[in-house]
Amino acid sequence: MRYLGLHLRARRIPAALAAAASGTLVLWTVVAVFSEVPDADISLVTLLVLLLAAVVAPTLGGHDDALDRTSALRWLPRRAAHLLVALVIILALVLVTLLTGARFGPAALVLRDAAGLLGLTALGAVALGTARSWFLPLAWTLPVVMTPFAGASVPLQALTWQTQPHDNRTAAVVATVIAVAGLVAYGVRGSALRDIRSAA
Amino acid sequence: MRTISAAETAPATYAWSVHAEQLKVKAGRHLAVDGLDLRMQNGVHGLLGPNGAGKTTLMRALATVLRPAGGKLTILGQDVGGRGNLRQARRGLGYLPQEFGFYPRFTVREFVEYMAWLKEMPKHTIPGAAQRAIERVGLTTRADARMKTLSGGMLRRAGIAQAIVNNPLVLLLDEPTVGLDPEQRLDFRELLRDLAVDSCVLVSTHLVEDVVAACTDVLMVNEGRLVFQGDANTLIDHGGPNDAGDSPAERGYSALLRRARNGGVA
Amino acid sequence: MTRVLRVQLLRFGLPGALLILLVGTVALFLDRGLWSGGWMELAMEQRDHLMLLCPLALAIGGWLARREHRATVTELFAGTPRPQHQRVLLTLTAVGLPIALAYPAILAVSAPWIMATAEYLPSAAYGVVAVGVLAVIASAWTGLAVGRLVPSPATAPGLAVAGFVAVLAGPMAFREEWQSVLASPAWAMSPWNEFQTVPAAVSAAQAILALTVIVAAAVVLSARRWQTRSVAAAPIALGLVAAIAVMPHDYDRVTIDPVAQELVCTDDAPRVCVGRAHSGLLTEITPKAREALALLAKLPGAPTSAQEDTDNYLDESDIKPPPDGVVEFRMEVGPDGRLADAGHLVTRMLEGGGTSFANCTEFYEIPVARAAGSWLSGRAPVNDPEEAGVTFDDGTPYTVLPETTALWEKLRALPEAEALAKVAAVRKAGLECTDMTGLLG
Repeated sequence: MRYLGLHLRARRIPAALAAAASGTLVLWTVVAVFSEVPDADISLVTLLVLLLAAVVAPTLGGHDDALDRTSALRWLPRRAAHLLVALVIILALVLVTLLTGARFGPAALVLRDAAGLLGLTALGAVALGTARSWFLPLAWTLPVVMTPFAGASVPLQALTWQTQPHDNRTAAVVATVIAVAGLVAYGVRGSALRDIRSAA
Repeated sequence: MRTISAAETAPATYAWSVHAEQLKVKAGRHLAVDGLDLRMQNGVHGLLGPNGAGKTTLMRALATVLRPAGGKLTILGQDVGGRGNLRQARRGLGYLPQEFGFYPRFTVREFVEYMAWLKEMPKHTIPGAAQRAIERVGLTTRADARMKTLSGGMLRRAGIAQAIVNNPLVLLLDEPTVGLDPEQRLDFRELLRDLAVDSCVLVSTHLVEDVVAACTDVLMVNEGRLVFQGDANTLIDHGGPNDAGDSPAERGYSALLRRARNGGVA
Repeated sequence: MTRVLRVQLLRFGLPGALLILLVGTVALFLDRGLWSGGWMELAMEQRDHLMLLCPLALAIGGWLARREHRATVTELFAGTPRPQHQRVLLTLTAVGLPIALAYPAILAVSAPWIMATAEYLPSAAYGVVAVGVLAVIASAWTGLAVGRLVPSPATAPGLAVAGFVAVLAGPMAFREEWQSVLASPAWAMSPWNEFQTVPAAVSAAQAILALTVIVAAAVVLSARRWQTRSVAAAPIALGLVAAIAVMPHDYDRVTIDPVAQELVCTDDAPRVCVGRAHSGLLTEITPKAREALALLAKLPGAPTSAQEDTDNYLDESDIKPPPDGVVEFRMEVGPDGRLADAGHLVTRMLEGGGTSFANCTEFYEIPVARAAGSWLSGRAPVNDPEEAGVTFDDGTPYTVLPETTALWEKLRALPEAEALAKVAAVRKAGLECTDMTGLLG
């Protein structure tokens, strides 16, 4: 247990948890105070999940990824577990709101977006390094939230999977593919190594 | 014998470049420098002492990064702990911190020029001064390389270049020889002697041999106090055959430290 | 420019500014159908994109602050004589200046798209752009300030999402339009039509607010202690009061510019006029309008000139029938800045013998009017391209083509004089707004 605790601290988990909880609280308050209906708008649900995925991003690497790599530990199951636990925490944080007067749901949508955006963050970590891992999910999702697409074109539905209705099959497929790709790539390769000095 | 420069013969309004009386400086909550008396003039001063003795805290106070918690500290005639002109004193300071921070995307030249600007050098003198400083530390060929591409030793030299760019009257170098290879250390000693002609250089180090070879004056601190100040030969004289160390200077260091820990002062 | 500033611009400000330039230009290009109608539309559509550019600038600021934190230069800089506020000012300039230039640069890159067709440039458009410039500077500096106070790796993405939520959801928290407009620089900026404007007072109020945020961010950054930082609340409060005072409280998101509505006409007869906002398209429209006038000439009391209908249909008091002897037409600007559905303009002008549904919504029968028009042109009726995509309640595409064609066939079968009399009756009904049903029966 002691080593798990140390590992979590090395990955800045306590700070991330605090940030995730307070971010959820702030958005929940916005909806609770200003919204006239109990269900949060789909764009706000997506944005909350995006925020939580971005908060997870810095925990995907330690202070010195090169040092991590030299250890004899088997990283694959640890990294995979890291992502899965992050997914569970995001789901828990968001779905708890379903019991309150300002609901961020439905659960299927939260699961799809959380899995997809976490996968995208993990892919970002593999490609760009931990510090830049949030570039990819943000760069994709913010423009999509800004220009929602409600038509029948399958390629455009795939492109805007984050804000499609929860029962849209194309969006579910895209999110699953990204999630699996992110899980596998991050599990196998981990965060890209970058000069710590140049990373921010 | 070294030649006397114009700067030294020019009438100074102060007797000592650095003058501390009963100086107290806090590192966090802990009083790391506790009642230290110190007087320094031009020359190379080597600062020795065990880890945790307060060397870095003293350096930071002399660099005006930390404000004294008590006592009096005068640098270049300015009472920097009290009402003196801090800005005036800082213009004459050069400082290389123990952990040298820099912008990795800047080239060496850009960074040194930026430091010169921060030290409020006249604008037209900055490019020339930066070039000279880079030449003096032997980084001319890497002057336009980004800082992040430099090796440890080169970074240290870039750090020394920024410290000397404004021809400081008081130069504070905290462990400058870390990462330098033996040949570079020899060059560095040469540079120190050269700089000391018209400035007061304080070098903190763990390498006793460096001090003996390059310093005209040796300072030793322990538990926040000055326990020895004198030239290298005096340091060596303190050592006896039974003291720990592989060289006379190291034996002198061990003897002084032992005596300081037993409560005595040299 | 000093060497020191140049280096800082290059290393700190430029990459972020280029990113803003790229994102802003791509966004405008993808949206070109929305702003191809003129300079004001372009300025407004770019403001709409602040929904993306403001969070981006915030993230850039947060990222740079984090980088400064990681460089651990505080120790080194603390012992230098230059006052902190001068160093901060240098950083602020190095970050703010390129980003401020990137915003109009997006316009400069996009402008050639409509350079040939857009003529009318009201001074209010400069106000719209100025607010945009101030908004991106305010965002970037706020990002720097927040990143300085909270130098965490999650700050930059957190700022981006928070900024996005603020710009998107912030205005919705207010009931009054003028309050929403103060809450977000992107609110109500999606252009409705080419005659729209943003009143100078609105831009002034938004500019005041953005300026106070800029000042507050600078104060937070140059202060060393929390007591001094709290001073930043003063400009915010002051600016809020001033902005609320300057803001017209009856502001409507669709404010029409009467100068843009004014008609610009050809010098020679038959006269053809368009709204000033469309003056660049007059030469393209004139031959088509004259072709329509020539076809209408066989009718008794035929119109002798044509003009664009520039009325704002959101405001009933603005809907006016055309003067006697004038045929009105409505026109849209295509994504290329030229007349949309150019081949269909004549057909539209001939509808109802040169009358329009807009001036007689109660009795106007579209199939009757279109069949009359088709008879005048001698061409078979077609669907209006503007109706493409419109559907009936049951989801089938909207069309009046079968009825129109049937009526046109009947007209065609009649002798010339008899048909002309019927079409003249349709025109009369359209002008006097009486029932058209059965006029071609």
